[in-house]
Amino acid sequence: MRVYKQELFKIQCVVNGRRIRKTIPSNITLLEFIRDFLDLKGAKQGCLEGECGACMVLVDAKAVNSCLMMAVHVHGKEITTIEGIPLNPPLTKGDGKGDLEGMSANLHPLQKSFIEEGAVQCGFCTPGFIISARALLKKNPKASVSEIKKSLTSNLCRCTGYEKIIKAVDKAKKCNW
Amino acid sequence: MPSIIVKPKNLKEIWKILPELPAKRKYLSGGTDLVASANNRLDDSGCWIDITDISDLRKITETKDKIFIGAGVKIAELKESKLVAKWLPALYSAVDKFASPSLRNMATLGGNAGTASPCGDGICALCSERAEIILEHFGKRRKVPLIDFFTGPKKTVLRKDELIIGFEMPKWTHSGVHLKLGPRTDFAISKAAVSICIELVKGKICSCSIALASVAPTIVMARKVSKFLETKSLTSETVEKASEIIKTEISPITDIRSEAEYRREITGILLQRALTALSN
Repeated sequence: MRVYKQELFKIQCVVNGRRIRKTIPSNITLLEFIRDFLDLKGAKQGCLEGECGACMVLVDAKAVNSCLMMAVHVHGKEITTIEGIPLNPPLTKGDGKGDLEGMSANLHPLQKSFIEEGAVQCGFCTPGFIISARALLKKNPKASVSEIKKSLTSNLCRCTGYEKIIKAVDKAKKCNW
Repeated sequence: MPSIIVKPKNLKEIWKILPELPAKRKYLSGGTDLVASANNRLDDSGCWIDITDISDLRKITETKDKIFIGAGVKIAELKESKLVAKWLPALYSAVDKFASPSLRNMATLGGNAGTASPCGDGICALCSERAEIILEHFGKRRKVPLIDFFTGPKKTVLRKDELIIGFEMPKWTHSGVHLKLGPRTDFAISKAAVSICIELVKGKICSCSIALASVAPTIVMARKVSKFLETKSLTSETVEKASEIIKTEISPITDIRSEAEYRREITGILLQRALTALSN
């Protein structure tokens, strides 16, 4: 049995393709681990109760609300955050000063279609939507619009509206990726 | 958040270590309720016992006449199970109506029962499937009909430290469906929900169980209307009469989510829709 007392847990996992080893307090959420210990600020803290989906990440290819999962749960698992969604090379740390041109060349078709369709306004919800859409399209690359809508019920947007987001996901599924 | 989280490898280890743990302790499963309440500083436990990876709780198995679903099975996993699809149609139909896709990847049936919300979709469907809940306390097991497990909103017959192991449902040839009505089609807490299982023989209902959510302090069985339906053919007349009877059987309340009269009315309509769906 493992006993996780505060400050005592050594976590090992793969984040965005890279092996991570860290000593963390056992009682932090996955979201706190990602944002505060790995400095990956893409996943956002929203409602903290699983309603908004701003904190969404993939754990072993399944979309989960990282604000409701304890960090110790992902020991030995594979996590993908929005920073790991762009095509090669996988990013594990965003310094906020990236070369924009270089970055946009690496963008995933989902990210590109979000930009092209104007599916980003304030952007707070965008990482969560892209993670949800990524999980869906990986499992079901030919998802219908109604399936897209169903799968995006995990996410809330309060400024873009949903039409453009749904269009963006529908468009991305037609890309060759 | 608690200051200590323990992760026993198996059930035996839980019972061994429990006496040494802080008195204010809780089991942590999917986390969708417990972590949410801790995030909102509504949980004051000093210790969580993480049971997420205990393999005995993650199984779906069958015996000659029963299906067992472990308390730690994720809601999304129910949809992938051939046993659930074949033997538990109402539960299978409830999966897509349960919270959101990402919460379904985390939440468990055991957690749904432990939370004991009057509007739980999973437990409503399980009650119509005639589930029994299996509980364990320091190695001793007992079985309780799931409908008797709930004693009030968020209240159950669980004793301190007693653990939900899983659910056992009888195998019987039936069709079933779970329907709910909320403020939105998806990801909404229901104003009322109806879960129904029926066995039809030569066009006549020979066995029927109906569970209702959000219309009483706990999940309730609609026994009067079930009895009425048994031996009847599913004609439009029967369906209409049944939807009238069910309205006399429930006494919902007005609260933040809906009004008593509206709840009564839509329960009748949901039953009508469910029976019509099953008659086709």
